[in-house]
Amino acid sequence: MYPIVLLSVLGIVVLFLGFMKSKSVLLPATLLFLVLALASNFIDWNQGKVLYFYEMLAVNNLTLAFNAIVLVSAFMIVAMTRGFQDQEEAQPAEYYGIMLFSLVGAFMIIGYEHLIMLFVGIEILSVSMYILTGSDKSNLRSNEAALKYFLMGAFATGIMLFGIALLYGATGSFNLTDIQSYVSIQGRGVSYILYAGLLLLLIGMLFKVSAAPFHFWTPDVYDGAPTIFTTFMSTIVKTAGFAAIFRLLSHSFTPIYSFWWITLAAITVLTLLVGNIIAVYQNSFKRMLAYSSISHAGYLLIAVTSLSPQTENAILFYSLAYSIATISAFGVLMLVSKKKALEGQVDESYAAFNGLAAQNPLLAFVLAVSMLSLAGIPLTAGFWGKFFVFGSAVERGLVWMLVVAVLMSAVGIYYYFRAIIAAYLKEGDIGKIRIAPFYRIILVVATAMTILFGLAPGIFEKLL
Amino acid sequence: MSASLLVLIPLLPLIGFLINGIGFRRIPRGAVGIIGSLAALGSFAVSVVVLMAFKEAGSTPQVVSLFDWISVGELSIPFSFQIDQLSLLMLMIVTGVGSLIHVYSAGYMKEDEGFGKFFAFLNLFLFFMLLLVMGSNYVIMFIGWEGVGLCSYLLIGFWNKNTDYNNAARKAFIMNRIGDLGFLLGIFTIIGTFGSVEFTEVFRQATGLPVGDPVVVVITLLLFVGATGKSAQIPLFTWLPDAMAGPTPVSALIHAATMVTAGIYMVIRSNVLFTLAPATLEVVAIIGTATALLAASIGLLQNDIKKVLAYSTVSQLGYMFLALGVMAYSASMFHVITHAFFKALLFLGAGSVIHAMSGEQDIRFMGGLRKKLPITFITFLIGTIAIAGIPPFAGFFSKDEILAHAFEHNKVLWVLGLLGSIMTSFYMFRLLFLTFFGSFRGTHEQAHHLHESPTSMTLPLIVLAVFSALGGFMGVPEVLGGTHQLATFMSPLYEGARQVNPAAFAATTLSHSEEYLLMGISVVAALVAALAAYVVYVRRDSVPAPETQERPALQRVIYHKYYIDELYDAVFVKPIRTLSALLFSFGEFFIDLVVNGTGTLVKVLSGQLRRTQTGSTGYYIFAMVVGIVLILFWNLLLR
Amino acid sequence: MLSDFGIILLFILAAIVLIMVVLGASRLLRPNRPNEEKLTTYESGEEPLGNANVQFNVRFYVVALVFVLFEVELIFLFPWAVVFGNVDLIEQTDGRWGWFALAEMLVFVGMLTLGLAYAWRKGYLDWVRPTPQVPHTPSPVPPALYEQLNEKYAPKVKVP
Repeated sequence: MYPIVLLSVLGIVVLFLGFMKSKSVLLPATLLFLVLALASNFIDWNQGKVLYFYEMLAVNNLTLAFNAIVLVSAFMIVAMTRGFQDQEEAQPAEYYGIMLFSLVGAFMIIGYEHLIMLFVGIEILSVSMYILTGSDKSNLRSNEAALKYFLMGAFATGIMLFGIALLYGATGSFNLTDIQSYVSIQGRGVSYILYAGLLLLLIGMLFKVSAAPFHFWTPDVYDGAPTIFTTFMSTIVKTAGFAAIFRLLSHSFTPIYSFWWITLAAITVLTLLVGNIIAVYQNSFKRMLAYSSISHAGYLLIAVTSLSPQTENAILFYSLAYSIATISAFGVLMLVSKKKALEGQVDESYAAFNGLAAQNPLLAFVLAVSMLSLAGIPLTAGFWGKFFVFGSAVERGLVWMLVVAVLMSAVGIYYYFRAIIAAYLKEGDIGKIRIAPFYRIILVVATAMTILFGLAPGIFEKLL
Repeated sequence: MSASLLVLIPLLPLIGFLINGIGFRRIPRGAVGIIGSLAALGSFAVSVVVLMAFKEAGSTPQVVSLFDWISVGELSIPFSFQIDQLSLLMLMIVTGVGSLIHVYSAGYMKEDEGFGKFFAFLNLFLFFMLLLVMGSNYVIMFIGWEGVGLCSYLLIGFWNKNTDYNNAARKAFIMNRIGDLGFLLGIFTIIGTFGSVEFTEVFRQATGLPVGDPVVVVITLLLFVGATGKSAQIPLFTWLPDAMAGPTPVSALIHAATMVTAGIYMVIRSNVLFTLAPATLEVVAIIGTATALLAASIGLLQNDIKKVLAYSTVSQLGYMFLALGVMAYSASMFHVITHAFFKALLFLGAGSVIHAMSGEQDIRFMGGLRKKLPITFITFLIGTIAIAGIPPFAGFFSKDEILAHAFEHNKVLWVLGLLGSIMTSFYMFRLLFLTFFGSFRGTHEQAHHLHESPTSMTLPLIVLAVFSALGGFMGVPEVLGGTHQLATFMSPLYEGARQVNPAAFAATTLSHSEEYLLMGISVVAALVAALAAYVVYVRRDSVPAPETQERPALQRVIYHKYYIDELYDAVFVKPIRTLSALLFSFGEFFIDLVVNGTGTLVKVLSGQLRRTQTGSTGYYIFAMVVGIVLILFWNLLLR
Repeated sequence: MLSDFGIILLFILAAIVLIMVVLGASRLLRPNRPNEEKLTTYESGEEPLGNANVQFNVRFYVVALVFVLFEVELIFLFPWAVVFGNVDLIEQTDGRWGWFALAEMLVFVGMLTLGLAYAWRKGYLDWVRPTPQVPHTPSPVPPALYEQLNEKYAPKVKVP
């Protein structure tokens, strides 16, 4: 609860800080605010389940852990913005403010207890994203992406709202606990309105986490948005979105598991196939990461579909591993593509990494570790993420789904390793890339975390 | 024995990797080789100490837990090492042969620009391999399993300027991943069935199951799929010959002595489970035999010195799986050990030849090297005799034991095994004769340049030659007056398996005379094959036809000297050649069709699916609506 | 007694009467000199007829957004006043309820005010177009020389 209040106020503060002469205060201020929010997040730690705002928001250790992941990711991403120095038309104060506001939305959907809260949270998050996507005003693709995202997002929101309305019609309540007691009393005999409502609500949320066949916006939007905001979208929105889906299904709809699991399983398999297979064909690294984010949505959906006691840990660990690896991959991409842009042409393809290792061993290493983690190679955090997810699927007995997932992760090797091959084995002339000290620290820390959690995933357990 | 001592074994190579890997541009060349080799040797020394301590303490297996690693729900996986007969044997092979190859590489790779990188990767490989064999549960084993795959990938593509090499590396990695899929699923099924991945716990529970339990059959089949990937069995073997793109010490260490035997290690480790699943064992035996035959027949006609050895490795691995299939676990391990000696020797010898020939690998351009490279020649000869199975060299004992068990189990397997061993003897002697006998067929420059390799390379050759010659005496069968120390040493490993299936471990039913007969037949067969090779390649001095027809001189020689060969050719060589070519093309074609076909399928699908991303918002929304309608329709109306 | 719907009917009737009275009074009082411009529908100075697919000045949107914001505030203030101005609750809580409700609304209004201040300070409320600044670089080459060059080397393509 505290980070919500804090960031709402501090977001406004950041906006007004933008009127100061010196823009350089914005970045440290935003980072400081994020740290404050992280600290305030743990006030409620180990208090059990606490309800706030007239039972509209719930706080327990799980939601706090998700909040922490979101905040840590946000901290890393903000630290990599370098104050938007290189963009002429940038409005840094607004970007930072919007990022902070969007985090508020993320916290709401992580801990909602009331469907209206879910809706408000998703809207705060989405509207922020629409703006950030289009923030590169002089770039036509950025504008196109923002408009597309907005149109499709509005459509999905409509569907979701309809679902919420139907759920209210069926159960007479927006409250998750009330819905849960209604469903458990009625069992499979609940009315069709509830079924339709649940499906529509799920579809709306699956759109936000880009599950197939609602994934179409993802590649275009991720590709068009400025890379820094792509990073923001692919980590924070995904983490929060999965927390929300998991909360909905595990909290209210376990009694009718037999109803929804088949649909979700079909969507999972489709997402895995679409994400991984199309990624093979991409030549743009950024676009590949967009498809990779679809495929990771698929792996996370496996955990949600299986809904076993392990699931919450699996989702938590997977989101963390995925977020860190994605941030460092995008971090390297931003440095490299900026260097290329300075030399005259914007290049976000695999070929941009050619010969990276020769003069920038650190960047190449960071890239390699993040790719290995995304591919799920052992001794990286990504491996354990997949391990836990698959483990929860086995517990539910969804072995066939596992076969698809493991096969698709073999396909994943192909496109993730292309980046490593380009960086280490291809000839190329990049030249030395200068990295700001803070940027370097973030990259090193992210890589270290990936390896640390890969060597000893138990540490994460201990932290909780 | 103390935990800190055990930790040193994998830790030393890891430290070596870190030193060489982080500072490979700053550390002087001389120091790189010494650091890398010392890391391996130190690890070997510690392993020896551990082995001594183990024997002194009464040979009781023990699990040394280092720390709690993962605990998810009810599943808890400790990070611990298991020290027993099996892991100790593997430790000795990995660190022992590994150290020799490190020393050898210090000479072999001296002039390469990536010297430091090479040693770093080699040490990293050693680290993962040690994790693989020391881990006390399937998850640690899997970590090592994937790690060695990664290192193998890095080392095959070591000379990364060449696109073909990179492709070979990627092929190896992806094929291995397909195998890993099976292994991973197997592990998950084990978790699901036994609720643990610790070897001791799983096997303790497994002894309570009946023979032929379907779950165990599924588990073992899945594990075996993993083994076929790593140990290059049908249908996942084609990566291994391609993997010869890597530097020769890598081929010796990874693709002959250690990594490829990981599959066999895994099966022996899980012997309780496999003993419970006779159906799987049948599959293992059949696949092993088929691989042994197919690879040996392909080896008959290869002209690249390393390719011959690669197919020979595949074939020998097939023998080991044959042994596993007939539940001769000790025999299989025996062959792993002897094979590690003589195949590492052969590869290193081949490396020495290639070194002398300035990179030439085609045996058609060699010949007569025995005078210029005496040490290499003698050691290579010993290796060849050992692999051909001629007593009293190491290969004889282990191969004969496998064949005897096969005979006991099923006569057909024995006949096929014998056939394979004849082919092995033939192609190995062919390789030997073409390389070291006759007259030199290379260019003048090469002839001028010929030289024996430096001491750092010949020393490992000599050591390995000694082991190849004498290594067999650790397992002299009873019938020849020995006690088979190896089998005795390993027998506690099968406690659980013996409990569930006592019949499988009963003493041999073969009479002594039968055993003598079997040995006699296989020795005579090997000798005859060797003789045939001698006649063809030394007496008649024939050389395999060049690939292009633009060398009329060579061809004319063959043409004029041997009209009789025409007949010979038509009766023996041609059918065999046709068969071999057929098998080669069929095998390669069919298997590549399946494996590459999957890759192509993914690519084609990707190309098609990519078109769904049209960029038009209207279309996207239409697709979403179709999705929504389908979901609602199916859920609300059809169910 | 009137029912609730009756009151609404009264409202409707009163509205119609009011409009008729106002329009009728103005008709009687104003001078009547129509021309074409005056007879068109009033749309804040925009051409009322034509293709709908034209580009509006983007400032309209900003103003409209700010307008909507305060419209929403207004709409929100009304139910707030009705629901929270509960005499019973205020009396029961010794007046604290009233202060609480007021504080909540002040926070809401305060935030909107901050937003307005932000928009104001950013200049979003100013209608005047900013003057574009053409960068001036002192160059030894007179502009006429460039013209000449362009003329000389201009591709001689006939425009059909």
